[in-house]
Amino acid sequence: MSAPALAVRLGALELPNPILTASGTFGYGLEFAHLSDLGRLGGIVTKGLSLEPLAGNPPPRVAETRGGMLNSIGLQNIGIERFLAEVLPRLERFPARVLVNLFGYEFDDYARLAERVDPYPGIAAVELNVSCPNVRKGGIEFGHDPEVLARLVASVRRATAKPIAVKLSPNSGAPVALAEAAREGGADILSAINTVLGMSIDPWTRRPRLRTNRGGLSGPAIRPIAVRIVFDVARQVGLPVIGIGGIETVDDVVEFLLAGASAVQVGTALFRDPRAAERLVDGLAARLGELGVASVGELVGAVRPWESPK
Amino acid sequence: MIVARDAVARVVEVVPHPLPYFTLVLEVPDVYAEVTAGQFVMLETTGGLEPYLRRAFSVADVSKRGDVVVIELLAKVVGRGTRAMAELGRGTRRALLGPLGRGFDLPEAGPVALVAGGVGSAPLLLASRRLAARGVRFDFFYGGRSAADLPRRDDFARAAQAAGGRLVVATEDGSEGFRGRVTEALAAELDAGRAYRATYSCGPMPMLAALARLSAERGMPGEAALETEMGCGFGACLGCAVPHVSGRFALCCQDGPVFRLDEVRW
Repeated sequence: MSAPALAVRLGALELPNPILTASGTFGYGLEFAHLSDLGRLGGIVTKGLSLEPLAGNPPPRVAETRGGMLNSIGLQNIGIERFLAEVLPRLERFPARVLVNLFGYEFDDYARLAERVDPYPGIAAVELNVSCPNVRKGGIEFGHDPEVLARLVASVRRATAKPIAVKLSPNSGAPVALAEAAREGGADILSAINTVLGMSIDPWTRRPRLRTNRGGLSGPAIRPIAVRIVFDVARQVGLPVIGIGGIETVDDVVEFLLAGASAVQVGTALFRDPRAAERLVDGLAARLGELGVASVGELVGAVRPWESPK
Repeated sequence: MIVARDAVARVVEVVPHPLPYFTLVLEVPDVYAEVTAGQFVMLETTGGLEPYLRRAFSVADVSKRGDVVVIELLAKVVGRGTRAMAELGRGTRRALLGPLGRGFDLPEAGPVALVAGGVGSAPLLLASRRLAARGVRFDFFYGGRSAADLPRRDDFARAAQAAGGRLVVATEDGSEGFRGRVTEALAAELDAGRAYRATYSCGPMPMLAALARLSAERGMPGEAALETEMGCGFGACLGCAVPHVSGRFALCCQDGPVFRLDEVRW
């Protein structure tokens, strides 16, 4: 049997393999250039970018919890112009597919950002952050109202021909309705999930461990939540899904594929092992062989759910 | 500057000082011989779910044992990660990323003061070695809650003496040396007519803030190694924000961990 095929296709987005890095966990890519072989990854999703640079939240911004971490970075970023002028040309020297994660404060920010990146052939797709829990205004509001989300995605659709991924929040309570709204607006791909809103308190100081009190939980602690949302969304919405949430091992990748994801993003695991995503590319090829499947596509959505008890 | 690499370090030994303070000795790649005082490493402590992330530790010392380069990490048992570290057996392998960050810009001429608070003394041991090698005279101000909170004080005393200086101990409970905070001990020396070209420090944030005020009052420049919550250690997570006088947030892991005292908004 020949080597299993790792290439995947999510609508118009073709990737050499299904292992990407999640926004906010891989910097702008260059931070990892000396630690991992960027060209081996299926793709890189950048730190969220806004029209203007953003200073982010005051510290403490991160706090560890069992099997994960809380963060409240506050979307600190260099702004889209500096990214396009300074980072993208350097990133293009590596044979890696770049997806830019975009977020705005105002409704129109998203379309303006999409318009701005549209001419750059070095950008394979855009991912819209409509679900960040760490900014009071903006993203999170657009991501929690299906009607607003549909209009927002439609405005981005008019601004760019690139594939559009919409990153879903697990905090809304109705991910399927939001995913359907994103599809109505013209999204090509759904990314699920963003961090889960959480909190941790120091018993000695009685202070929350994050300066913003609440923050986004990531890491293996949230994986079952993510698998459930991917499962629901993939079956009910009919768009390709990128699964995100606590992925560390090749079996985690297979789990998300079975639930219905066509690709995955590795996030927090990259902080403890900068080569975590690259290792999964190797591991996945081997595991597909062991599972007796010829391609990633054979596993996508291949879960055998139990029928309802009679 | 050495490019950080992710390697597997081998545990040589754990030396208690006594506990909760200890030194972890690790066999590391040869590039660490060139580590700058103040630089740090991200160490895998358990490989399990808690702690999930690696932990940041300053390099306290570097030397050769036979053919191999070893580094020393001086730490205190405060939680699960450091407890696991203190229990590491000889020969255990752990992922180690480093050397990371910007270290101290040590002077060519003294005298200078090194100012440490508790286990914050770690990067200043390596600074002591580097200063001694340059023949730069320094006094070492070492503060802690009590005499038991001054791990490896004899090493610091010897290093200072070898460079023509001395160890000044300050304890908050008065169990040894100057009674009070280490910054008060330093102020007392300055009041007594002693002069230093600069200070190099590491310790709790309130101590460093007090030192920054003293430094500004006396017109004495200084650098401090900061400790913050840290996710990744190499600029990807943006978790280790340090309020900077420019109004933006600097990153402890990349812009620091060593900062000039006058560039941090304390």
